[in-house]
Amino acid sequence: MHPNLSFEQAPPISVPYRFLLAAPWFGVLAGILLAWVGGDVLGSRWTPEALALVHLIAVGFMLQAMSGAMFQFIPVAVGGNVSRPLLVANVVQPLLLVAALLLVAGFLFGAPALLSAAVPLFLVGVGVFAVVVLLALWRTPATGMTIWTMRLALAGLVVTVLLGSLLAEALARGLALPLIPLTNIHLAWGLGAWALMLVAAVSYFVVPMFQLTHPYPLWFARGFGPFLMLLVLIWSGLWLREDTSLAQASGVLLATACAAFGGITLWLQYTRRRKIDDATSLNFRVAMIALLVFAVSAALMAVQPQWAEDPRATVWLGMLAFPGVFVSTISGMTYKITPFLNWLHLQRLGAPIAAVPNMKKMIPAEAMTGQFRLHVLALGLLLAAVWLPALTRPAGLAFAVSCAWLGVNVIRALQNYRRFRDQIRASVLHH
Amino acid sequence: MTIVIDGRELQPPEPMERTLAALDKLGEGEDILLQLYCQPHPLFNILRNNGYTWTDNLLADGTREIRIRKSQA
Ligand code: HEM
Repeated sequence: MHPNLSFEQAPPISVPYRFLLAAPWFGVLAGILLAWVGGDVLGSRWTPEALALVHLIAVGFMLQAMSGAMFQFIPVAVGGNVSRPLLVANVVQPLLLVAALLLVAGFLFGAPALLSAAVPLFLVGVGVFAVVVLLALWRTPATGMTIWTMRLALAGLVVTVLLGSLLAEALARGLALPLIPLTNIHLAWGLGAWALMLVAAVSYFVVPMFQLTHPYPLWFARGFGPFLMLLVLIWSGLWLREDTSLAQASGVLLATACAAFGGITLWLQYTRRRKIDDATSLNFRVAMIALLVFAVSAALMAVQPQWAEDPRATVWLGMLAFPGVFVSTISGMTYKITPFLNWLHLQRLGAPIAAVPNMKKMIPAEAMTGQFRLHVLALGLLLAAVWLPALTRPAGLAFAVSCAWLGVNVIRALQNYRRFRDQIRASVLHH
Repeated sequence: MTIVIDGRELQPPEPMERTLAALDKLGEGEDILLQLYCQPHPLFNILRNNGYTWTDNLLADGTREIRIRKSQA
């Protein structure tokens, strides 16, 4: 059999790190915003604060971390090469950072000019990123469902941003568009076809590898991505026709798909080959439980529409999805990616293997599990705060501190990389 | 002689660490048999840059058998 070759080295270590360093601080901003405003800010999904919070996490925390992780993941996991990674990162990251801040400020201050200003930055930033990454995914000689599912996720990202841009322009210019159906379509692409799709693609690879579970069943890995995409398309078509009751029914199918992914991942963890309970496994477990609760809640709301009448019900879903599913999986992945990055790049300095410190030395285990516990506490408070507004402030505060701790852990990993690198260089010089 | 490394029950990067350690000891005509559930692209990079060749064989149970030897340059 012909061996699969990677034709270049992975990107410079600064490329993935800059995204992973930035991501957690958007979570800090979200927590501060929540604690600052307090009161009944979680009473409805349509308040300016709620829209700002959603996008601090979606295009701040998540988009930064997920694009940074892809820069690293593609060469390591699928042997593809993102061309000119440094140049692409230099262009894409500032665009996305500024775009995220403009969009959030636009929501918060009800400023149409800021919303409009964010749009071209998102279109260029995500456009360049998607083209470069799709090319890398196309040219890799490797095969497998991780690659296919990643391609679907990128398509999901592009559609999400196009729809988001349309919505932002509609709000900014007061265009007469059906905002609620379009928002429902936009969020299904963002949460389903982009974010959950990417989590699935990455999970097929990393869950068996790092959590030492059995692989995902082949039928599942083959079917889940395309099925999810199909359901998002059906959901979109029904909302476009403004067929609300059928659209809600198709929401039950989407919820079932989410539940299947969460259930299978939990099952794989439960039957794993070796018992590993590090911060990554624990974060994934919390994420998959949140996904199951999300699926059950969404299905119940579709079947019993009177439960969906309370505006808090949708906020509850958002809380489960953003801090519950995605912040947890991203934190878990960050705790694998950064130590592995360090180890890989130290390995390349040409020192004897024994001179390269173990991966466990990159971030102290207690710092990761401690932060994980705080994250779980913050998530619990956030979920409770949806129904008990008095908890909004403590929940926001806890979430801000937890995200800051995550950010500090990433900074610490980078400092350790630099320290070990200097040690190795010094010892190579002495020999 | 073949050095066998079963990396299937190990957490990354332990299989890679063991393989790199085995490379240091690898004599003429010897090879390494690495068993994994995935394709180790970073390892392939290192092998290629250091004058090794390998073959990669996927078994029915999902195990990949990667045989590594010094290239005959
Ligand atoms: C890439 C990931 C994204 C995700 C996961 C996402 C998610 C969401 C969600 C869940 C909502 C509903 C909020 C609610 O009901 O409170 C929403 C609304 C909205 N999103 Fe996004 N979004 C993303 C990107 C974007 C981008 C890039 C833009 C702008 C360029 C954007 C613009 C909007 C607008 C304007 C609304 C509100 C529409 C309205 O109030 O009628 N989104 N988004």
